Amino acid sequence: MIEPIDILISFIKVIMAMMWFLILALYLTWLERKESAVMQDRVGANRANIFGFRIIGIFQPFADAIKMFFKEDFTPKFSHKFLHNLAPFLSFYFVLVTIATIPFAGDIKIGEKVIKLQVLDLNIGILFVLAMLSLSVYGVLLSGWASNSRWTLLGGLRGAAQLVSYEVALGLSLVGLVMVYPSLKFSAIVESQGALLFGFLPKWGIVLQPLGFIVFFLAAMAESERVPFDLPEAESEIVGYFTEYSGLKWGLYMFTDFMKVLIIACLLTTLFFGGYQVPWLAADGFHFPWGGEWLMSNGLVVALQVLIFNLKVFFFCWLQILIRWTYPRFRYDQLMDFGWKLLIPLCLINIAITGIVMSFIK
Amino acid sequence: MVKIFIDEKPFEVEEGITVFTAAEQAGIEIPHLCYHPAFAPEGTCRMCLVEIEGVPKLELSCATVVRDGMKVSTNNERVVEARKGVLEFLLADHPMDCPICDQAGDCKLQDYYEKYGMFESRYSENKEKREKKRKIGQTLIHDQERCVLCRRCVRFTREITKTHELGVFERGVHAEISILEDGPVNNKYSGNLAEICPVGAITDLDFRFQTRSWFLKSGDSICPLCSRGCSITIDSHKGFSHFKVPKRVYRIQSRRNENINGFWICDIGRYGYGYINENRLEQILLKNEQNEAMDWEKALKILSEKMKKVHPMDRSSGAVLILNPWLTNEELFLIKKFLIENQEFENVYLIDIPDGEGDDFLITTERSPNKRGLQELGLKAKSLSSDKLPEKIKLVLAFTPPNIDSAGSASVKAVFDKAETKILFASNKNDLSDVSDMVFPTAVIAEKSGSLINIDGVLQNFSPALEALGDSRPEWQILVEMAKEIDINHKYYDQFSSPETILQEIRKEISDFGKKSD
Amino acid sequence: MIKQIGFFIEIVKGSIITARHFWVNLFFHILKLFHIKTKRKGAATIQYPDVRQPIAYRHRSMHRLMKHKDGTPRCVVCMLCVTVCPSECIYVEAAEDPDPEIQKYPSQFIIDLTRCCFCGFCVEACPEDAIRMDTDEIELARYDKEELVFDLDKLLG
Repeated sequence: MIEPIDILISFIKVIMAMMWFLILALYLTWLERKESAVMQDRVGANRANIFGFRIIGIFQPFADAIKMFFKEDFTPKFSHKFLHNLAPFLSFYFVLVTIATIPFAGDIKIGEKVIKLQVLDLNIGILFVLAMLSLSVYGVLLSGWASNSRWTLLGGLRGAAQLVSYEVALGLSLVGLVMVYPSLKFSAIVESQGALLFGFLPKWGIVLQPLGFIVFFLAAMAESERVPFDLPEAESEIVGYFTEYSGLKWGLYMFTDFMKVLIIACLLTTLFFGGYQVPWLAADGFHFPWGGEWLMSNGLVVALQVLIFNLKVFFFCWLQILIRWTYPRFRYDQLMDFGWKLLIPLCLINIAITGIVMSFIK
Repeated sequence: MVKIFIDEKPFEVEEGITVFTAAEQAGIEIPHLCYHPAFAPEGTCRMCLVEIEGVPKLELSCATVVRDGMKVSTNNERVVEARKGVLEFLLADHPMDCPICDQAGDCKLQDYYEKYGMFESRYSENKEKREKKRKIGQTLIHDQERCVLCRRCVRFTREITKTHELGVFERGVHAEISILEDGPVNNKYSGNLAEICPVGAITDLDFRFQTRSWFLKSGDSICPLCSRGCSITIDSHKGFSHFKVPKRVYRIQSRRNENINGFWICDIGRYGYGYINENRLEQILLKNEQNEAMDWEKALKILSEKMKKVHPMDRSSGAVLILNPWLTNEELFLIKKFLIENQEFENVYLIDIPDGEGDDFLITTERSPNKRGLQELGLKAKSLSSDKLPEKIKLVLAFTPPNIDSAGSASVKAVFDKAETKILFASNKNDLSDVSDMVFPTAVIAEKSGSLINIDGVLQNFSPALEALGDSRPEWQILVEMAKEIDINHKYYDQFSSPETILQEIRKEISDFGKKSD
Repeated sequence: MIKQIGFFIEIVKGSIITARHFWVNLFFHILKLFHIKTKRKGAATIQYPDVRQPIAYRHRSMHRLMKHKDGTPRCVVCMLCVTVCPSECIYVEAAEDPDPEIQKYPSQFIIDLTRCCFCGFCVEACPEDAIRMDTDEIELARYDKEELVFDLDKLLG
């Protein structure tokens, strides 16, 4: 019993989520350049202008995009043409679909209709996201192999090894979280985080799963293949798995990188920082623990939730860029040691502690 | 033999030689400007002063004959001080215009200042102003300011050419080398004056301001312009990495060779290097069209096919071989073995190079370098100008010399007009290169190695002084590869990897070949 | 393990330093946006084409050839610059000057700036002070490589 209006709403939700994702990722390229510049006492990209209006270089992403459009799209003779062309789109696609599961705000009521601000509320949301991120390894691996160049092959191999290693930690670090909020559904997890602990503390993931947060954050950083975990690219050593790409396809890889940063920020927000939840804000307004109340209409609440969600996401984007511009690259053995010998044991300890604490509380 | 001590080391030297020569033989360098082994010592420059034990004053090493038990110091404090003093006097009136002096880099005064001088000038007065540019001969410029009055040039005109054009005029500080009125240096060896001048006083108009001497790379070779075969050094410029220079060879200088030319070469050989620079063939030409892609392998294949096309029966009458006396012994031997004996070319002609004016010193009347080699190899060639040509010519292989004149090329052209297929091996463009079916660029003598036999029967080996131009190759290499391409007795031709191996083969067949070897 | 904890502290310190730089600089950038003048600037950058730093006194910029009072080049074609040039980008050809005191003057003087590494050796080597690198011309980018091959007329200015 699907009504046409539901199809239209779904369609609009898909479009809006995608727009949000892509435009923010595009501006993340600008943000990265600006943030790194400000960190390093520079000014950063500020010369792109439209009719002389520079506005602190806000048009830079468009200039970059235009440049990439007009660059020669070069496919080396020795490469496997089809796979070479396919690989960047695979990477891009698998990261793009993950945004579908992220809840942006609570339910919005328009007349009789209750609309969830989430494209797809899957029962296995977390597993879906992890699976899609795993599949994006294929983009790295294929580009490394299909380019048929030793640098790309080295980059691809490194990339595959790194991503596969850190996926283990990434998955295990969420086990404790799933145990605490007994669900794999993003909406349910965010919903649970709205509750209060001891009557005043928001029941966010960071509070209940501090160790899980740290491990997830580190593993997710590694998953995004950026400094200090950028061994598959490593411009100064092997250039990386996209050595043989140019123009728009190379741009797609770059763009995928930033999309990963954004999706990681979304996941961190959703899983550990209460998603769209504002402390003490319920569907009808604020209920402060000291007894005060501030009731608001549904529309206002949703707007506040969307705003706070975005702010949290921006913060994590900022944090990731800060880290990317602060630390040097790991050595390969350090990277593997870090993943297998530190993060995975920490995950297991986290699961054990979570289980013990939960059994006591019950 | 007498025993002398130079710098406290004992040496056994011949009786009657000078201290300077003894030191030279012992490998000890004594600075000198006026001394030249070809002339009697004069002792005007005072640079070669040495201390001899028991003699109160310093002695001229170039004019003192060795005695038994003589103890000579060439480098002690007193000698060095005296040398410095002499240098200071010489430089006091020297214009120091090294940056614009063509001798810079080859200049003895410069070398000695660096080695023994290195003093600050104490001469604060104005330097004597003299004539900077006096043309004293067809190709010679004399700079009075730079002259150190060593009188080498005067002695040259008196002792070697015996033409007495130069002399020292005036006295004291005004003394200068000059020519008599309306009596410029006009002899066939005048170029040597610029060469023997130890400073930049006499410079060569031909080399004047062309380049600086340190850019030049010297290579030893033999002058091919007459049958004397004088030893020469060729100074060439490879060009800068991003700029081409206008010439390849910038000058030719004589090389000491007691058997042939002593210290001198004639002006014909000194200034006659134009053929190395100009009008050279750089690429293989096919049917008068320059073909970029034509490499030697392909061209030789085409050539061998053309040669195979000529029926063996026709060869005796229809194939003509034209040789020239610029070919080395090795090349002539290969021609004899391969083209004449194996390929049965019977009509062998020789390009006539007309005789020039000779003299009783170096220049011979015969203006071709290797006529003697032709004779010794037993190659019987008819003359192109006087002997009859065959009626029908199918194929003609012509080797032309770089200095072929119009009469010579006309006589070859007469053959070409009759022939069906015309193959030319030449180093320079001439009238024939346009009418040939194939033109192979060859290296000139300065660019290849081999041997020549001069007019006195002396066999001289030489090696390349500079790299072959463009695609050009020496004829012996072309002939070896041609023989391999036609595939006759491959093994035999495989052993010829260098002219030396060919010369060994010649000596196997003609045991007394070039017996008066250098 | 203790060592690794030490590393961890330093790692956190590092990100605190970069974060501090970020926020402090951002604060001054924002002040500037509101046209509030401060002594301290958000960035050390000099906005090059708009703002120019004065060129240092000994800076080696594009070459020029010096002239005599009558306008003839001071160069005597000793080719010392050609000799000393490490990138072999100078080419000089001499011609005979009618004045026997000068003797040589350059008929061609080419500097290929596409090859030049601006080491200044030619200036050091010149015995006549005929070549200098003090034009303060540093913007040498051209659309055509040929324009960067400077001949005698261009070098004399």
